[in-house]
Amino acid sequence: MIKRASTFLLLFVIATSAMPLAAFAAEDGELDALHHSANAYYLDFEPFGKLQLPRIFVVQHEDGSYGVEVFRSTAAAILEGGWVVETASHAEEGEGDAHADEAHTDETHTTEAGPYGGITLEQLEGYLAPASGGHVVLDLSISKHLVFAWLGMLVVVLIMTRMAGLYGQGQGRDTAPKGVFQNLFETLIIFVRDDIARPNLGKKADKYTPYLLTAFFFILTCNLLGLVPFGATATSNLMVTTVLATFTFVLTQLGGTKDYWMHILWPPGIPAFVKPILMPVEILGIFTKPIALAIRLFANLTAGHLVILSLIGLIFSFAKIFGPGVGYAVAPVSIAFALFIYFLELLVSFIQAYVFTMLSALFIGMAVEEHHHDHDEAHGDHHAEPAPVQVA
Amino acid sequence: MTLFAASLLAPDLGLIVWISITFGILLILLRKFAWGPITSALAQREATISESMEQAEKALAEAKQLQADNTKARREAEAQAQAILREAREEAERLRSEEVDKTRAQIQHLQESAQAEIEREKQSALDSLRTEVADLAVQAAEKILRENLDADRQKKIVNDFLSDLPKN
Repeated sequence: MIKRASTFLLLFVIATSAMPLAAFAAEDGELDALHHSANAYYLDFEPFGKLQLPRIFVVQHEDGSYGVEVFRSTAAAILEGGWVVETASHAEEGEGDAHADEAHTDETHTTEAGPYGGITLEQLEGYLAPASGGHVVLDLSISKHLVFAWLGMLVVVLIMTRMAGLYGQGQGRDTAPKGVFQNLFETLIIFVRDDIARPNLGKKADKYTPYLLTAFFFILTCNLLGLVPFGATATSNLMVTTVLATFTFVLTQLGGTKDYWMHILWPPGIPAFVKPILMPVEILGIFTKPIALAIRLFANLTAGHLVILSLIGLIFSFAKIFGPGVGYAVAPVSIAFALFIYFLELLVSFIQAYVFTMLSALFIGMAVEEHHHDHDEAHGDHHAEPAPVQVA
Repeated sequence: MTLFAASLLAPDLGLIVWISITFGILLILLRKFAWGPITSALAQREATISESMEQAEKALAEAKQLQADNTKARREAEAQAQAILREAREEAERLRSEEVDKTRAQIQHLQESAQAEIEREKQSALDSLRTEVADLAVQAAEKILRENLDADRQKKIVNDFLSDLPKN
């Protein structure tokens, strides 16, 4: 019974996840997979519309004073606040002169009433600048990925406080754990504790387990939220993964023992003249580890979505080039492949949550490990860093 | 096409700020209200389980010890019973052989005394026979003398006498 219901639910999810794409594509006859995967200041509920999110700006005015401006949506910022879309020449992150001409043409559109609360898509997605002059110091606007990151946090908090409540009642503490809910999450928690934290961190595992658990469940939830209809993957945003990697980085450096720093600044067990050569490499290694963490998570989660979107996009490309009939003919093949990738992404969601947590534990574990100096430096390379783990 | 504020790789300091703050809060919240209670409950349960297993093992060892003790006691009792039985059997055997010997001796003794009695009786019988015979001879002689007869008569008389004698 439950099995059949969940099968239907899965089919429903898969069927509806293509809906926003179809609607999006229907608008201009083509599908921009890259654009769809990127962050935005609205929630995409097409074909039901876009829900614009609040814009919050920290602004430095012309006279040098700072201020905060808050609007309930991008449309409100433009229509009521008088903000304007920055053109390429003004944009701080200018993409080159090639776009400049196109960007300038936007100003002609600003007077027209667009379909998105009175503004056009270009206005909705452009960089905004205050009309009164000055510039934006910090754009604290609520974006799509932020909303889904928060949603992920909320889900994790709700699940885990419920779990804590169950244990608080004694269920699972004095008695055996009961039910699918508790057993499922307990299995995951114990997996993180026993198979990720403890093997890598040894005696110090208890100190870092809360962080590893939080990272694991947050990443996993965000990954899975991206597979839900109208959902977005917060972990396919480089900013989000950078923050997560930074947490690991900070914990690694804060937990670093004297030995850890010694190995970086004056590596033992090698001839003295090699040490100055190795030192910059080791220092570089401090940073490459978290950078790899951030990019791995971002790239894996983005890639899956891009492949799905590209496969769906094939339908529209074929339809545009060869006519609607060919588009319909290609659809079953595209959807079958997309379905396969969808399942692959489901797998990747778990694998990447595991890999991020695992490598975080490994990096922290290497930094906090206490070495035993019962051997001389001649064969000191015994406790040299383990070979870097290569994970896709 | 305009410059997208949110392209795939666009730096977004605002998002970094938001995520840093909220992920930090999430970390603190979960650590206090979720991971703390959950991991301590799990640790407690594990401790309880290992404790119970230890106790069960101890109880099992005790039961085994008790069983071994019981078996040992039973063996000892059996051995004791066996020894007692053997002793009793030996004692009985001893008594029986003693009794047999005694009986045999008694029989021997009886036999011997009977033999002696017989010998004595025989002797006294012979003695009395001898006396009787002497008497008879004397009587016969007396008769002969008293009758004063011829030889044939004498012979006849002696023969008669002799035939009158009891056969044994």
